Amino acid sequence: MSLIEVEHLKYRYPATEKLALNDISLTAEAGELIGIVGKNTAGKTTFCQALVGLVPHFYKGAYGGSVRIGGMDVKESGVDETIRKVGIVFQNPFTQVTGSKLTVYEEIAFGLEHLGIARQDMMERIDHALHLLDIEAYKDRAPFDLSGGQMQRMAIASVIAMRPQVIVLDEPTSQLDPQGSEEVFRAIQSLSREGITVILAEHKMEKLAAYADRIALLHEGMLIDYDTPSRVFSRSDLAEYGVEAPIYTRVCQAIGFRMLDMDTYPVTLEEAQAAYEAQHSAISASSQEEQGGRYD
Amino acid sequence: MKSMSLYVERESTVHHIDPITKLVYIAAAIALPIILPSLHTAWICMLISFVILGMGRVLTRSLPIIGFVGFILLTVVIIQGFFHVGNETVLFRLGSWPFYEEGLLFAMGITFRALNIVGAFLILVLTTKPSDLVESLVRKGLSPRIGYVLSSVFQIIPQMMATVDTITDAQRSRGMETEGKLMTRIKAFLPLIGPVVLSSLIDTKERTLALQVRGFNVKGSKTFLNEEKMYRYGSAMRWSMLAIVIGAVIWRVIA
Ligand SMILES: Nc1ncnc2c1ncn2[C@@H]1O[C@H](COP(=O)(O)OP(=O)(O)OP(=O)(O)O)[C@@H](O)[C@H]1O
Ligand SMILES: [Mg+2]
Repeated sequence: MSLIEVEHLKYRYPATEKLALNDISLTAEAGELIGIVGKNTAGKTTFCQALVGLVPHFYKGAYGGSVRIGGMDVKESGVDETIRKVGIVFQNPFTQVTGSKLTVYEEIAFGLEHLGIARQDMMERIDHALHLLDIEAYKDRAPFDLSGGQMQRMAIASVIAMRPQVIVLDEPTSQLDPQGSEEVFRAIQSLSREGITVILAEHKMEKLAAYADRIALLHEGMLIDYDTPSRVFSRSDLAEYGVEAPIYTRVCQAIGFRMLDMDTYPVTLEEAQAAYEAQHSAISASSQEEQGGRYD
Repeated sequence: MKSMSLYVERESTVHHIDPITKLVYIAAAIALPIILPSLHTAWICMLISFVILGMGRVLTRSLPIIGFVGFILLTVVIIQGFFHVGNETVLFRLGSWPFYEEGLLFAMGITFRALNIVGAFLILVLTTKPSDLVESLVRKGLSPRIGYVLSSVFQIIPQMMATVDTITDAQRSRGMETEGKLMTRIKAFLPLIGPVVLSSLIDTKERTLALQVRGFNVKGSKTFLNEEKMYRYGSAMRWSMLAIVIGAVIWRVIA
């Protein structure tokens, strides 16, 4: 049994005609980092919110199929049960600050207080979350006084402290400056290293190519592809879905550098380098042969 | 960040007293002068409130507020001194206008009682963090939702003001006049309302989602990060205040 099992998930927002999610089925194993890509209105946010039960419980609307996390049916259990297993972080760091707490430390405690976690346990979890997100230095600051990147890491820490098995991040860096984004991506990597299952909707393909185990490509509510970054980003019809492959892939595609012994293109700088070196040594080997032949 | 709270951080015994005891004090300070309506109770209670403010080392902070209220009450003294219904004994004359003793005493009663109530509230407001107050109320059974609304107001309103500033700046940089005559200001204000209201509405929806996934609606009992703030003599103080109030009632009935 996989940790996340989505079966024939269909969803339509109230008072709309179109299906926002159209027959999505996928599974993810514990510890995987899954990227969600697709152009605007592809349904990424809707899918993310379906994993925590906000879809359909918050919005209502028409729902079909099922989402199961560790065997628990999200629709039947409701949001309040599901959040014990799945945490979600939204785009805007500002609106995730509760506004009722005076320090970062207290802010992270908010969820734990509402879950009824004992005080001692609470403090251990907060300290661990602060450490993991590398924001220990700001623990006594006022939540609204942080920079965007720090605030978003505080939001992630607040969710991590609740000890979910899965954390869903919906474009967590889209409203941050480059430095803030970089901080958040580093934080996401350390979550993944801790063995937390991460679902990450993101427009920065270079990052997904480097970190994700698998990529789900959504288009108009449908799951077009669900495969490794190399295979998804090497698709020749990617542009039709409004997704741009990582820059390395596009360059290699243009000059025809494939991965060694494979029909996919490099998706990261490292892979591009390896492909280049492989090609290069092949060329110099053959030219040496030529030269060798001449002097023979 | 701008803060809405009037809390003054000081090291004093009054600061250590728990918020519930301070609330009980407010109740007692309001009740006593009503139960015993003599002028003496009024000024003694007022004096006690001021002494406590002094012990909390926040008297200077309270002077502007007390001064402001006192200034308004001065008009009561003037009006009552000249026009109180039961006026008989003339104290002095201002031109041909007589100023009466009965009116003065009546107005002083009102003034002392009002300043006493203001003082009692100031003790709470100036020496207690709003978050501590809300937390102890939630512990005593106030709904955590109401508690959340109360404590978030202190931060979210300044946050909204900051949004207003940002949008004003944006509009000014697009060449809109936002300062100067009243009419210009009003004209500049109207196009502000749209973005501010809209962004607050969006914020509210997103914040509702964010709160829900942080367990805001989870049923069952809540725990608290902070240990309950207990003052060693808190309960003794509350019982003695209750005893004084009951004593006052008995006194009133038999005397
Ligand atoms: N609250 C809502 N009510 C009605 N329709 C909605 C609502 N939210 C989203 N939709 C619709 O559902 C579809 C999927 O939207 P969704 O927000 O999931 O896309 P997305 O991939 O997250 O886009 P983006 O990249 O802009 O964040 C869109 O057609 C959108 O108009
Ligand atoms: Mg989205």
